[in-house]
Amino acid sequence: MSIIYVLIPLAIVIVGIAVSIFFWAVRSNQFDDLDRQGYSILFDDDIKHKDVDTNEQKEKINKTDETK
Amino acid sequence: MAINVSKGDCFHCGLPNLEDDKYPVTILHKTHNMCCPGCQAVASAIVENGLESYYEFRTEPATKGDSALDNTMNKLAVYDEPELQEEFVFENGKHKQIQLTVEGITCAACGWLIEKQLAKVVGVKQVSVNVGARRAMIAWNDKEIKLSGLLKQLKTIGYESLPFQADKHEASFQSEQKSYLKKLGLAGLMTMQVMMLAMAQYFDLFGDIDAESTRYFNWISLVLTTPVVLYSGSVFYLSALKATMARTINMDISVTVAIFSTYIAGFITVNQVDAEVYFESICMFVFFLLISRYLEQRTRHKANQISSNMLKHIPVTAYKWINGELTSVLAKQLQVNDLVLVKAGEIIPVDGEITEGHATIDESMLTGEFESVDKQQGAYVYGGTINQLGVITIKVTKTLKYAMVNQILRLQETAMANKPKVALLADRLSRHFSIIVLAFTAFTYGFWYFQDSPHAFWIAISVLVATCPCALGLATPSALTCAMAKLNKGGILLKRADALEQLTDISDIVFDKTGTLTYGEFSIQKVWVADGSQKDALLSIATALEMRSEHPIAKAFSKLEIDIKHQCISNFKVSIGNGISGNINGHVYQLGSANFIGINNENPFINELNDASIILAKDDCVVAAFWLADKIKNDVADVLKTLSGYETSILSGDNEKNVRDVALKLGIGKTYAQRTPLQKLDTIKTLQHQGKKVLMLGDGINDAPVLAAADVSVAVGNASDLAKNAADVILLNAQLDSLALVLRMAKRARRKIKQNMVWAIGYNVLVLPLAMAGFLTPWMAALGMSISSIIVVYNSTRLLRD
Repeated sequence: MSIIYVLIPLAIVIVGIAVSIFFWAVRSNQFDDLDRQGYSILFDDDIKHKDVDTNEQKEKINKTDETK
Repeated sequence: MAINVSKGDCFHCGLPNLEDDKYPVTILHKTHNMCCPGCQAVASAIVENGLESYYEFRTEPATKGDSALDNTMNKLAVYDEPELQEEFVFENGKHKQIQLTVEGITCAACGWLIEKQLAKVVGVKQVSVNVGARRAMIAWNDKEIKLSGLLKQLKTIGYESLPFQADKHEASFQSEQKSYLKKLGLAGLMTMQVMMLAMAQYFDLFGDIDAESTRYFNWISLVLTTPVVLYSGSVFYLSALKATMARTINMDISVTVAIFSTYIAGFITVNQVDAEVYFESICMFVFFLLISRYLEQRTRHKANQISSNMLKHIPVTAYKWINGELTSVLAKQLQVNDLVLVKAGEIIPVDGEITEGHATIDESMLTGEFESVDKQQGAYVYGGTINQLGVITIKVTKTLKYAMVNQILRLQETAMANKPKVALLADRLSRHFSIIVLAFTAFTYGFWYFQDSPHAFWIAISVLVATCPCALGLATPSALTCAMAKLNKGGILLKRADALEQLTDISDIVFDKTGTLTYGEFSIQKVWVADGSQKDALLSIATALEMRSEHPIAKAFSKLEIDIKHQCISNFKVSIGNGISGNINGHVYQLGSANFIGINNENPFINELNDASIILAKDDCVVAAFWLADKIKNDVADVLKTLSGYETSILSGDNEKNVRDVALKLGIGKTYAQRTPLQKLDTIKTLQHQGKKVLMLGDGINDAPVLAAADVSVAVGNASDLAKNAADVILLNAQLDSLALVLRMAKRARRKIKQNMVWAIGYNVLVLPLAMAGFLTPWMAALGMSISSIIVVYNSTRLLRD
């Protein structure tokens, strides 16, 4: 049974980590909007426009913006 | 995952597509048809920016695109004015930061779309979208892109975004909610750990655990419980402290006593072999109590967000004459005696007097009446009203701060502050309850102490824990939260959950007329034609003429959906306040009031034309007449039948006759006509002084003060933002049958609350003698309390069904 003298403090450490992660998540607004973040994983950001450099894209958008 | 837009509907907004393949866009290698140039432009912009995945994953169709895109875009430049920005833009180091309310967010995919679109723009440092609150936070570098540029980017992908007037309390609400969440999370995690250790001891039926292990477990439990007591429970101690300072008693005092005495007792005896520690009870106790507080706080926060999203910053610009030249300025910069030019279709920027020209002015935002008013030189016009026809120059008489709209706003604020306060059932009960509990505890302790019982202290704690009003505290918020969620699904927004409780006490229901009971627009009630065979042709001619007009009457004709393509009008003229005329097929047609046509007593049709709203004449000969009136909404009569238990009345700014007519048709007993916003407010206050509880329904800006003053108020669909902001309940659709639903739900919620309370109190009364007699140990008491709470919550969730 002496194993509990190791396991329980270990459990407390893990709980401590869990609590600090939870606090960090709350502080960084992750609980503000529960509908939104679940969808992020569905979108592929890297497949479209392989040939266009992101900088070029930015310029393109700003140009279209100026012409308006 | 994605939605399927049915064939024949617009792929972007999901509304019926009447234009077939006129506006195609290729999305994900397939051609889809859009319903209008607006949707087409938005869809193409999304595709061009490589954001097609939006269409793959969205769960709701988008809102309809704005066809007059370029026009609205140009107006955005006004947001770059530093004077305007100082109110809502924050300097954050090198960057500027802003919160926007975004209209048109329908599902989570919209959040992604907005973030992607803006993240690509040079100068944007950070974007985060909150789909639930419909807001976006943007940080940007002002040297690289202007605010109007950001708003334009959002507009190209179909979202209307505006800065808003953040509520004063909002920031504190937000941090409060976060701290509740942290406390709740901590208490939850710790409860699990401590309970695990406690369970081992509960089920140690054969005494196999040696004394050393028990002591070890107790020490660990103490370590784990300490943060819960010191941090998570602090909410209750603060509230208890406040109550004692104010010399009142609340639930939190007994909660505080129970938590601290159990904790301290455990702390002292933790080293003893026969230690009586109840750390798991403390944790569970705090956790359950926090859940109910958190639920309550969250509903209030949500309501707060909804109402502050509604106060959008829409700056009004004005054309000011400076040395004979027109210059565009912000309305708030205007001074008294400045001269301002207002063209047709523009919003009148401030209150003033007409010095030149005459115009037809739509004052619906002030009076609630859609019928426009004709104003001549010397007449006063009010800021926020719309100049429909004619060009006028006005001399400013009041600066924006003192303009009529802002006066109404202030009236609303004071009315809101003076709203009758109701002591809610739960608050009243729990106060008495707390006193009784504290008295019983003291008595129990005293009794057992003088009996020389070694358990006197623990028996007293058991009494405190067992009778803890935890279930009582959950009774109301859980029922109200469930009722709110259910109503939300039916398109009814509640800004204040306790409004539901108050709804059950209502004795009087007061309706605004225009826009609430009626559609708030003209429709044709009756048509008379001199020659019956000509009816269709004449209707078509009248419609064609009206199509050119901006007057609200024109809407009545456009609803007829008559084909007017073959009607060629030349020489079209408008006579402000009288009528319109034009040449069609070589004949001169005039359409307007009897005066305009020149009807006198010798006219052969004088009897038929009695009371006609507008008359059509062909080459000076009367050929047709139309009777127009505001139509009563279809379902109003049915809804009113279900309200027979209440005293109903109409409170309107419209004239006596119109109000009477509607009241007669609907069988509403009392009418108050021709009331200004201030008089409306007085009427409601008089009713309240007579001891009546008033439910007010309205939609216009002029209704905002009354809505704020009424015991419970409902803003009907399409209501003005100000009215929505003042109301407690917002109906998202224009139909009134939701009102019956709200009232029914209020009754059900009330019944649930009562059931919950009867259970909570009944349980406590039942368990009190057991606890006082010393049959209950604190852990049993805590377990019983938790089960009682769970039963209450389960009972409330039954409101979500059917």
